[in-house]
Amino acid sequence: MLRALVQSTDKVAVVPQLRQFHASAACCKVQSGRYKITPKRDRPLTYEMANPPHFIAHRKSWNSWDTTTLLDGQRAAETAVEDVFIRRFVTGTWHDQFCSEIIIKRQHNLIRIAGIIKQGLAVRKMYFLIGYTEELLSNWLQCPVKLELQTVENKESTIFKYI
Amino acid sequence: MSYYLRVINSPFSNILGENGMLRSVISKKILLFGNNLNCTRPSSTSNSEGLKKSSGSNDMLYQSVEVEMRSGEPAVLLSYEWFASYAANQLGITIGKCWAPPKAHHNRLTLLKSVHIYKKHRVQYEVRTYFRHMTYERLTESTLKTFLEYIQRNVPEGVALKITKKSVVNLPSQLADEFQSVNFK
Repeated sequence: MLRALVQSTDKVAVVPQLRQFHASAACCKVQSGRYKITPKRDRPLTYEMANPPHFIAHRKSWNSWDTTTLLDGQRAAETAVEDVFIRRFVTGTWHDQFCSEIIIKRQHNLIRIAGIIKQGLAVRKMYFLIGYTEELLSNWLQCPVKLELQTVENKESTIFKYI
Repeated sequence: MSYYLRVINSPFSNILGENGMLRSVISKKILLFGNNLNCTRPSSTSNSEGLKKSSGSNDMLYQSVEVEMRSGEPAVLLSYEWFASYAANQLGITIGKCWAPPKAHHNRLTLLKSVHIYKKHRVQYEVRTYFRHMTYERLTESTLKTFLEYIQRNVPEGVALKITKKSVVNLPSQLADEFQSVNFK
């Protein structure tokens, strides 16, 4: 609006380098945890990805199951940081294998890490990776860690829709 | 014989579903109270040891035990309550009142929607805690330990338990003497 005002007045010589107000409206858009539609509609989404965050507890569930967020819950910060660390470590160790989100469930001092991986990994490799992940994580976190993996034939079978 | 009730309540900060703190704290509490009462059980610290009943000892009696469960997911609580009540039925424990408060606890955070300014536009997040209570009546110590061990080992992820026990004990000797000298008419 301001820009139009400045340019419409003939008497003022408009210099190209003229400084102006940035007068467009703020982009009040909620975009975290949501995926953009592609022009070709070919972005694959899993069920988890297809539901934006406000559907948690309605259509989809939480990815971390613990008691930190309850009333008088303890170790909220530590648990959150540990969960981030576990997720990074597992996605890095099982490179390009996980087709779903990594679910972390805590009971007593036990941590169970669940997820869906692709088939086609050599059996020995898989056993090694399971042992490696459990051993290292339980050493770092100082508590028993268990992996609960399920497999699917290929990544496409977890796809819920294309947008 | 005269009895009175004593409530053994674990401090509130100790309730937790994780890190194994819950059980150890509570069992210590029992022993703490049990030492100066008519309990003749040898003081053992771990629960597994406590399960073994030494010969010639008296079990403590519990008037009632209240289990408070809290979780972010009410369906999980309902299912867990069914599980615990079923286990109690199988063990022949009298189930008392089981109830849930009508409203969940809501921890709400109201923040600005934008990073900076624009005070009129807010966004509200909330963290809910659903509660459920179960009471079990008239238990002996060994039954209680077995039962609690079973339901606490099977606690689902994301569920915290708080257990309040009411035990029946003898009147302390000083008080008992007082009572003998008083005539009730």
